[in-house]
Amino acid sequence: MAINDKHIDAILETYPAKVKRNRKKHILIKDSAQAHQEIEANTRTIPGIITNRGCAYAGCKGVVLGPIKDMVHITHGPIGCGYYSWLTRRNKAKTPEGGQNFLSYCVSTDMQESDIVFGGEKKLARMIDEVMDIFKPNAVTVSATCPVGLIGDDIGAVAKAAQEKHGIPVLSFNCEGYKGVSQSAGHHIANNGIMDKIIGQGELIETPACYSINFLGEYNIGGDSWEIHRVLEDIGYHVVSVLTGDGSYETIKNAHVADLNLVQCHRSINYIADMLEKKYGTPWLKVNFIGVTSTIESLRNMALYFGDKDLIRRTEEVIARELARIEPVLDQYKKICEGKTAFCFVGGSRGHHYQGLFAELGIETVLAGYEFAHRDDYEGREVIPAIKTDADSKNIPDLHVEPDRKYFKLKLSPEKAEELKKRIPLSNYPGMIANMKDGHIITDDLNHYETEEFIKLLKPDIFASGIKDKFIPQKMGIPSKQLHSYDYSGPYAGFGGAVKFAEDIAMAFTSPTWNFISTPWKDKPLLEGAMQKEGH
Amino acid sequence: MERQTGFARNAAENPCNMCMPMGGIIPFKGVEKSMVILHGSQGCATYMRRHMAEHFNEPIDVASSSLNEKGTIYGGEKNLKLGLDNLIKLYNPGVIGILTTCLAETIGEDIDRIASEYLLDRGLNDVSLVTVPVPGYGGSHSEGYWMATRSIIARLSREAPANRRINVIVPHISPADIREIKRILQLMRIEYTIFPDFSDTLDSPFTMPYKKIPIGGTGIEEIAEMSGAAATIQMGVTASREISPGHYLQDTYGVPLYNMPIPIGLENTDKLFAVLKQVTGKDMPESIFSERGRLLDGMVDSHKYNAAGRSAIFGDPELVLAIAGVCRENGITPVVVATGSKSFMAAEAIKSSAAVDVPEQSLLAGTDFARIREHCREKSVNIAIGHSDGRYLTEKEGIPLVRVGFPIHDRMGGQRLLSVGYTGTMTFLDRITNTLLEEKHKNYRHGIFDKFYTGKMA
Repeated sequence: MAINDKHIDAILETYPAKVKRNRKKHILIKDSAQAHQEIEANTRTIPGIITNRGCAYAGCKGVVLGPIKDMVHITHGPIGCGYYSWLTRRNKAKTPEGGQNFLSYCVSTDMQESDIVFGGEKKLARMIDEVMDIFKPNAVTVSATCPVGLIGDDIGAVAKAAQEKHGIPVLSFNCEGYKGVSQSAGHHIANNGIMDKIIGQGELIETPACYSINFLGEYNIGGDSWEIHRVLEDIGYHVVSVLTGDGSYETIKNAHVADLNLVQCHRSINYIADMLEKKYGTPWLKVNFIGVTSTIESLRNMALYFGDKDLIRRTEEVIARELARIEPVLDQYKKICEGKTAFCFVGGSRGHHYQGLFAELGIETVLAGYEFAHRDDYEGREVIPAIKTDADSKNIPDLHVEPDRKYFKLKLSPEKAEELKKRIPLSNYPGMIANMKDGHIITDDLNHYETEEFIKLLKPDIFASGIKDKFIPQKMGIPSKQLHSYDYSGPYAGFGGAVKFAEDIAMAFTSPTWNFISTPWKDKPLLEGAMQKEGH
Repeated sequence: MERQTGFARNAAENPCNMCMPMGGIIPFKGVEKSMVILHGSQGCATYMRRHMAEHFNEPIDVASSSLNEKGTIYGGEKNLKLGLDNLIKLYNPGVIGILTTCLAETIGEDIDRIASEYLLDRGLNDVSLVTVPVPGYGGSHSEGYWMATRSIIARLSREAPANRRINVIVPHISPADIREIKRILQLMRIEYTIFPDFSDTLDSPFTMPYKKIPIGGTGIEEIAEMSGAAATIQMGVTASREISPGHYLQDTYGVPLYNMPIPIGLENTDKLFAVLKQVTGKDMPESIFSERGRLLDGMVDSHKYNAAGRSAIFGDPELVLAIAGVCRENGITPVVVATGSKSFMAAEAIKSSAAVDVPEQSLLAGTDFARIREHCREKSVNIAIGHSDGRYLTEKEGIPLVRVGFPIHDRMGGQRLLSVGYTGTMTFLDRITNTLLEEKHKNYRHGIFDKFYTGKMA
């Protein structure tokens, strides 16, 4: 059915007038006849509306810092925040031989009322001492929660003193939950800290192997990163570091030597990608390893960047080998999935990334959006200069970087870079809207009310969601695929991941469970009055 | 009993509890047509919804006033009022819980004033606002639960004529447990008000069409009339007086209070029927007597296996206390009894209970899993009983875990676990016994082989 403005208005009608005007700006119907479609994003959440967004602490400690395995991540605050971010993203990590892995630990200063009144700095300092004593980590992070900033605990000073005392890096992050408008603020804060205090601290002066890359914005949910690595290493790439899935302080500190930075999740890591280019002369390439076509395209773009004949040949060999292996399997699943429709509303990049994979299975994504993205994630990076800074974005300062005197090395000549940019998304992300079909809906910061209403309007066959919202479609009789931590499944990335995803999606459609449920609209005859129904 | 103040350590390493507002949300889910708004950063609501959704496998709609930096400077009143406007417009609730968070409490938001002003200003008389101060640093989720339960009663109850109903106030037990208590009361034809009743709202049957606020919960009118009840039976001996809803009803309206442990275990369930007899004069129905007999018969069958059990029990104080009783009754030795709650009352209640009176026992209050793990090693624990975070005891120490309580996020059906009453106790005890047996059989052949053929075992 063709969706028009009236349908959207009908959904928004329930809201108070001001809210209606606000939400309208966050919802688009893709129309390629228009030169450019603008969406409002990264603005304040409307209170009371049951958003799916989280806070700055969640973005900083929960998303970006949390997966770094050889650092102990201390939450300075009352117990809840630390507890709620305790390994909940299924970001997997392997303990290297003789190496450290503290991911299964949740460490909090467990602030009490007296700490709020008298300050928590001393407690934090004592706690870092204990952490050193118990874990002997390579490095430590301290993340602030709401009360810390309000009572004025100077965690920077505590961290600095601890660093001098223990001789290991102690990084502090002022990621109080109220900063910014969503977890996106926390990504930025974490990016700044990692750039400032970790990258470039390593002893490597130049890359230890050919075709060396950093993999940015890949969090190894359900082992995604491992499946991608399998292929990258097979082709001949050397992965210097991953930020931050299965990542470590020991590898990230040498990220400055890589020849190329790959960016998977643009939203959470683009600050570092940008700064690495300015500081070390390393360009970044937007990749997408979700879906077969996107994976192939990403691999080919990487090979083009290096422009080495052997690498290009090897890339094609690996692609051919993988395709021969997975295509017959995917074809089987496609028979089940063909012609169906999906909603895809997750996080800050998956809402876009999974559309290709759905399409390969014959499923059209009729509605997509992000929880906490910015306009550039929708409209492409060329809108960045046009994005107005507001009070909320100004609160997270940009880290100013200059070319590094010791390590700056232009990896590409400006001419070569310009030429490549015409062919591959080098230091560029064209955004989600470009990929969507006319008539399909793009929505920012979808909430529970709209979720229900859009389901009623568009009647999708499957809903790709987060954890909190997956139960709404399920209660409405529609299968959901939880793409936050994959419902204990995965990996979904790369060639092998596509097969696993196809299997899970096909299973969602074919489970006999649904035979016992008939969604109201499926019960209605397509032709009114064609035949009298019996037994209902 | 060891307490946090006695710790050498400052670190909470792998916490055994959550924060106050988390516990505060749950009783509101047990009120008919009710919603909650958390006054603070939106992350609080998001995190808590996520954890509750994963345990109950239900949509958990909790609003937030989404305060940001500006709100921390100029106050969050405007955001809270706007949030209430939107919540009312979209959900049309009869009751709204306004819960504070660390942020709101630290900046000193006066939610009572804001709430009463709001009602006046908007001219609303068909919605009740219940304010609950629950800063994350003020206590654990267990205390948050009692605080909210008490606040709801304090706000919604009013002087009512004496009625024949009895109040049953339940702690944070599973929806299946609440249903079981209701079944018993109905079987005995006792008129009751059970509160908070989240048996349907947090474990709702699949029905079409989808409802934004699930059907169920204690009726607002019923709560209002709890003041006129013949008696209150509260399963909350670990709740201190100032947060105990049963005490509120006793002190304010003179409703006699029978405060007892959760009826898990033979003795505790007997206690429930003794109290019911005392209050209503009704005897245990024959069918329940059979259930009791079956439990006893099962306990006779199981005691020989359970005698080998050395258990570590952890979680909400109220539940920990009841589980310790189940263990003691059938010969399992509760050698580690622990709660993350720092409540003095909870610690004292556990300490003074006969259920935990075991020589060389570790009683831990305000503790974390790092400490529980140490004590498990020290005390040769061979079975852990508690919520899902005890899974690290399995991973690191090989101690099998019987899941019960909240949260259960790595297995299905936490909301359906039945442990109360004679029948519930039987199914619960079977879960424990069978875990011990499974462990025994897993190692049996190796053990025998080592003992008789390789001489590796002493």
